[in-house]
Amino acid sequence: MSRLELVDDRFGKLAEELRAARPAAPEALRERVRSLGTPAPRRVQLDFNFRRLVPAVGLAALAAAVGAAGVLGIVHGSTAPRRAAVGHSVPTTAAHRGLERSTEKSRAPAQVAVPFSARLSSGPRPASGRLQQYDAALRVRVRDQEELSRRTQDALRLTRRLGGYVVSARYATPGRRGDSELALRIPIDHVQTAIARFSAYGSLLSQQIVLKDLQRRADDLAARIGRLDVEIASIEQRLAGSLATEQRAALQQRLQRDRTRVASLRRARSSTLRRAQLARVSLTMVVGQKPAAVPAGRFRRTIDDAGSVLLRELELLLYALVVAGPLLAIGAAGMLAGRSVRRRSDRRLLERS
Amino acid sequence: MKPGAQDFAEVAKRHLDDVHAFLVYLTGDRNVAEELTAETFARALERWRRYDPRRGSARTWLCQLARSTALDHFRAEDRRRRREGRYALDVPEAQEAVFGEGLSPALEQALSRLSAAEREVLALRVLLELDGESAGRVLGISATACSTRLSRALQKLEREVSAGVAA
Repeated sequence: MSRLELVDDRFGKLAEELRAARPAAPEALRERVRSLGTPAPRRVQLDFNFRRLVPAVGLAALAAAVGAAGVLGIVHGSTAPRRAAVGHSVPTTAAHRGLERSTEKSRAPAQVAVPFSARLSSGPRPASGRLQQYDAALRVRVRDQEELSRRTQDALRLTRRLGGYVVSARYATPGRRGDSELALRIPIDHVQTAIARFSAYGSLLSQQIVLKDLQRRADDLAARIGRLDVEIASIEQRLAGSLATEQRAALQQRLQRDRTRVASLRRARSSTLRRAQLARVSLTMVVGQKPAAVPAGRFRRTIDDAGSVLLRELELLLYALVVAGPLLAIGAAGMLAGRSVRRRSDRRLLERS
Repeated sequence: MKPGAQDFAEVAKRHLDDVHAFLVYLTGDRNVAEELTAETFARALERWRRYDPRRGSARTWLCQLARSTALDHFRAEDRRRRREGRYALDVPEAQEAVFGEGLSPALEQALSRLSAAEREVLALRVLLELDGESAGRVLGISATACSTRLSRALQKLEREVSAGVAA
């Protein structure tokens, strides 16, 4: 770069004069600097440079995360397929939804009934001694249309045999496909038997069971009915005596109102008791092609497990960022503000000097 | 690549005059400038392992160290003056040819009337002929801001010279 480019032409002469008279270091200073010696040998291990350290640590963390996912994937992937394990465990909560891609029937027909029964025996069952509403929805895949017909009839027969009844039934077999939807009411004492049987009709695609306690509501209704009965008896007793015309009319009006309320409460209680006696079961059976039921290979399981671990690590990282992000932002803002203040302070100091 | 031990002696020899001239302009006092130059090279020796040639030339790095050393000196002086209540009395005596041998008295006086902030940008851009980016790095500002500062400093210097000649 030429000198003319550095400084405006107007100041060229001024700049030349300054350069020509540039102060030189005296010999004593040169000697002093020479006598400083040479730098100490470099200590390799302690020579940290944050600009290089941060990406290195980041890369190391990434490698560790991927490595851990790989190792866990290999370890878990080499164990038995998880689906088999999942198939035998059904949640025991009052409300649950289970999804089962069961293909056992085609591969091992003899094993089908047992796992489903075993699964259901551990499922939610109505509590004895308490009134409960029991709603169940099942979706089952059957082999073909003939099976669909046979299973639908069996479900209807079973419902009646167990003391229940059919609310609605829909059966359709368009083309090679088909489905049937049954809305059933089954005595709550036998509902588990029915569900176990329905589940064994084919591959259980989904199952949802909801249990709701009705005891408290029934008790509450009974208590209110009892109070109103006492009140009605009291009014009837007073009406049997001698009363003023207006008072008699008011009591009769009140008696009429109480009787209406009692009747309404009794209907509500009867409805509650009926709900507690009969479980509502919705059974849907479908005919369809089974999904490709190729058991996951070891490589696929390894990849799946590694992916799950990586996903979990990503979740943890995001969580850490959400928690630490504001603190880091505040720290960075503080550092920038501090640097700005220091620069301004330096500038003021130099302007004063 | 890290600089070797032998490189430091070479760098010190090559840039001693640059650092000294920069500090003379920054402090406006030759004795102080000599002290600070020695201090700057002592610091440079300590930190030589941290110097990364890829992030700037050795001259730029030394000038940054020199400026930091000078700022420490100014701060210490500022504190001392406040503590001793001698701020107004402690004006250094006028020295002959502070900013260089052979400068006209008018230019010498004009330079002494500039602030340290104005003289440092003159030293970096005019005397040491650093480019805008390097000078900006030393001053902690952008190249554009550095050019603006240089232009203002030169204009003021010219005004001061004209005023000195007229007087």
